[in-house]
Amino acid sequence: MLILGIDTSTDYLALSLLEDNLVKAEYNLSLKRQHSEKLLPLMEELFQTFAIKAQDLDAIAVSIGPGSFTGLRIAITTAKMLGRIFDIPVKGISTLEIMAAGQRADYILTMLDARRARVYYSFYSRKKADFKTDLEKKLNLKELYQASSIKIEQLAELLSAYKGEEILLLGDKTDKAAEILKRENFNVITADPENNYPRSAVLARLGRDYINLGQEDDIYQLKPAYLKKPQAELNWQQKYGG
Amino acid sequence: MNAKRNYKNKEDDIFILALESSCDETAASVNKNGLEVLANVVSSQVELHQKFGGVVPEIASRKHLELLLPVIDEALEKAGLEFRDLDAVAATYGPGLVGGLLVGLTAAKAIALSLEIPLIAVNHIAGHIYANFIDNPQIKKPLICLTISGGHTDLLYFEDLKGYEILGRTRDDAAGEAFDKIARYMGLGYPGGPAIEKAAVEGDPQAIDFPRAVMADNSFDFSFSGLKTAVMNYINNQKQKGKEIDQADLAASFQEAVVDSLSSKLLEAVKKYDIKSVVLSGGVAANKRLREVVEAELKEVEIEFYYPSLELCTDNAAMIGAVAYYQYLDRDFASLAISADPSLKL
Repeated sequence: MLILGIDTSTDYLALSLLEDNLVKAEYNLSLKRQHSEKLLPLMEELFQTFAIKAQDLDAIAVSIGPGSFTGLRIAITTAKMLGRIFDIPVKGISTLEIMAAGQRADYILTMLDARRARVYYSFYSRKKADFKTDLEKKLNLKELYQASSIKIEQLAELLSAYKGEEILLLGDKTDKAAEILKRENFNVITADPENNYPRSAVLARLGRDYINLGQEDDIYQLKPAYLKKPQAELNWQQKYGG
Repeated sequence: MNAKRNYKNKEDDIFILALESSCDETAASVNKNGLEVLANVVSSQVELHQKFGGVVPEIASRKHLELLLPVIDEALEKAGLEFRDLDAVAATYGPGLVGGLLVGLTAAKAIALSLEIPLIAVNHIAGHIYANFIDNPQIKKPLICLTISGGHTDLLYFEDLKGYEILGRTRDDAAGEAFDKIARYMGLGYPGGPAIEKAAVEGDPQAIDFPRAVMADNSFDFSFSGLKTAVMNYINNQKQKGKEIDQADLAASFQEAVVDSLSSKLLEAVKKYDIKSVVLSGGVAANKRLREVVEAELKEVEIEFYYPSLELCTDNAAMIGAVAYYQYLDRDFASLAISADPSLKL
């Protein structure tokens, strides 16, 4: 099974090729705002390097954010088209989950900058005792809180039930979050830079696992995890209600 | 791709899938040999943006992502073709709203890479001009084209895609933008062009004497901000005096002022340049009063006059596919690294 992983949800342009259990290629390029220009040429280069064609792909894993709205749509549009043309399964994966699934720790808080002192976050357990479903057991991962956005100051309140546990902080604003949580006597650790971003090989592997469990997405319904309405919609609601 | 591609020539049948997503219409088409439109599918988002009185870019981008695949499917189905039958894929790469442009352009890149066919990046304004040739392939060149829409007011001298000259453009609001703003101010809704035209039907176009912009340098440029201010002042003055406003008269007088400004510049250009025809393009070209006035004046100087059918006036992909065909024959292909250009000029 040959899986292409595509992620344009963060500053990283991330692209990977996984063949069964072998990571054949993994690009993680911190480029900012060049995803539209760079993604398709990079895919072309990847295919040429391994002398394969797009039609040789068996599945696509794509990151659905949260992240930059415009950025997210680049990888998702690409994934939809490949899925449609070659009639292969596509699975959308949360960027927060990609980060957590790449690390070993009992409890992991992953965060992405949501601007205005807010972060998008999700909170995961990798403790066997917490796993209930087949999916959780297979992935070795359980999402404890559904992804959302929060003011960084409110993290202590959010995690109050886990005060005694060691919590790994990943992603954006981890230093600020660690400072806030340590002040409240939480046991937190942070990661080295090479472990602190969503790696595209992890995305492809997650895609493989989900698809093997029959959890592919309908490409006609697949969309980013925006986690926020368009600003104009929020303004309108504030003015007129509803 | 390393393999040298075998491109088709004018004698062959060439099928192009084109995508358009520069504003609030998600569109896909399949054209055969440029001007033969096998499918022209447009999914309008107008209703989504109505309550905001204009296009909200982020809402438009989200909708493009949702609609593009179904629109492509429908276009291929109507054309009776499969992806593998396509000779090239085209997309609008500007001007327009960047978020929307990127959805269509990225989709086209992915299709080009997947099928190993050329990618053709098309200028939206060129598309509007070529919309005329789809309905009337016999149009004689050189011609003068007035492109008028929510984003553009361009007066062009046009021979072909490589030989043209911008004679004038707006210095402030686009013509369609002026319609939208005044319609919103009058409470007539969005989009403003059809709303004002409808309200003007029973009105007297001479009822209120609004100013027509005159350029000090005698250029072919347009300006609508003075007119817009005059209309707003008129409404406020009437309100202050407690006088009732005749919406029909107001709409008709405003429309007449816009039509006057557009047609007078167009006629000046027609007299100055040696041309065979005049074409209108863009959404505002659907305005009946404008067509009427221009038609009558051009009859006197014996210049042929064309405008596209309504479905080709507003944004659509068939016009993009028409331009793409001529770019294909010129082997004017884009690299997968091309970016969207929101302020692309012709």
